[in-house]
Amino acid sequence: MTSCRRLLPLLDAFVDRELSPDETLEVEQHLLDCRTCRARVALQHSLKLSLRRAVRESEPATDGFRRRVVSALAAERERERARAHGVSRGHMLPWRSIVPLAAAAAVALLLGMRANQQQPPDPTDGSQRDFTNNASMVDRLLDDFVMHHANPPLPEVVDEALVGRLEPEVGVPVRAPSLRQYGAEWEGGSTVWVNSPHRRVATLRYNLGGHHVTVFMYDASRIPLGASLEPRVVHNVPVYVGTRRGYSIAASEKRGMGYAVTSDLDGSESAELLAASF
Amino acid sequence: MSRKGSPNPNTTEAYALEQEALTHLESLLAVAVRLTRNRAEAEDLVQDTLVKAMRARRQFMPGTNLRAWLLRILTNTFINRYRRGGLEKSLLEGPDADPLADGWVGAATMEGMRDPESQALRPLIQAEVVRALDELPDEFRIAVVLADVEELSYREIAEVMGCPIGTVMSRLHRGRRMLKAKLYDQARAIGLVGPEPVLVEAENDAAPKAKAVDLDSFRARRRSSR
Repeated sequence: MTSCRRLLPLLDAFVDRELSPDETLEVEQHLLDCRTCRARVALQHSLKLSLRRAVRESEPATDGFRRRVVSALAAERERERARAHGVSRGHMLPWRSIVPLAAAAAVALLLGMRANQQQPPDPTDGSQRDFTNNASMVDRLLDDFVMHHANPPLPEVVDEALVGRLEPEVGVPVRAPSLRQYGAEWEGGSTVWVNSPHRRVATLRYNLGGHHVTVFMYDASRIPLGASLEPRVVHNVPVYVGTRRGYSIAASEKRGMGYAVTSDLDGSESAELLAASF
Repeated sequence: MSRKGSPNPNTTEAYALEQEALTHLESLLAVAVRLTRNRAEAEDLVQDTLVKAMRARRQFMPGTNLRAWLLRILTNTFINRYRRGGLEKSLLEGPDADPLADGWVGAATMEGMRDPESQALRPLIQAEVVRALDELPDEFRIAVVLADVEELSYREIAEVMGCPIGTVMSRLHRGRRMLKAKLYDQARAIGLVGPEPVLVEAENDAAPKAKAVDLDSFRARRRSSR
């Protein structure tokens, strides 16, 4: 059978659909007459199917792995953005040195929003430079929050009921705030890096009649944000309010949990949403 | 809408590509597991691949096959990391050490080997198929996975593996033949098919050497037919 000898090298390519139409026709003609080649082609088809099924079904991606990849990509975006903005992390304070300082420097930090203002000396602590570092650290943190609000990350959680999945990365409980009463529509949740101190915070995004609202949840013991904003009381909740780059920011703490809301609404509206987020 | 800071187009584009790349996560992981034969290493490989892809995203030509591009990064990363000297060449260059010719068994046996697919033996068969695949040398395993699991075209596989299309075809052919031989042994061991001597039919002489010659003419004909 000279036909077999000539067509044998084409059978793989036939099964892979890599032959030209006339070659395909030639092979098909031959298959009508040749049981052995029919069996070869059928076996190859079946092997292909078995391989596809076996390989695809053998190792499904777990949620944990998917999350890990999503955060690796998010971290990569942050690095890229930091490079593009010429941000150097070389001079950043590690958070461990910041936490005790933040407690001591709370009064001075109230002035953090007015960055150039002279810091009053603290009688219990002679190191004024540390205050300045803290003030500028909180400044940068507020910048980070506003930046994440303006350039929202890709949602890692698309179902509002599943925001708890962000917890392991943030290290505090993450619950969806009850903003429905304001007509807020859920858009998605994810975690983002903030640089000072280097921490992950959860971001939950909502759309309130065309206004974008971001709710941040984080470990307040490590991110002493509230201290640098103007204190107010909304629904008996102490809230700190300020503005940055045209966005309003409201922040508060409860039992070690930090909450912040950024939006293009005015400060009192952000504060109201924040108080409802508790 | 009164949002003031709209995201810059660069970032938006990156999100879009990232989102699309993530739809191939399962696929990349399945390939990575078969390449590394180790779940933990495979997960690292996939993560590295996606991060590299996003870094190099400007090299991706929109409108081309994103999955093939990702598989190319994945395969290259795998080869560079685990096979510092590149893929082994010895198996490729030397004469065919496999005594089994193309028509190594008769039609009845080949038909017998297919039957289990339609029966209750599938889990066993899947495990056997995966094991047989894992035993293949890297260059054959990569070619077979890209062609049979990922269904890339010969041209795409050639780009992924950085070799000519003819090499892809011979790697595929030989990889598949080894697979069939292994599965035949297993099918025999569990009694699916009876023992059968290697057939020496007239057409079986057409195996590897003749094939290597034929490939060129085949490729020439393919080119002229397009």
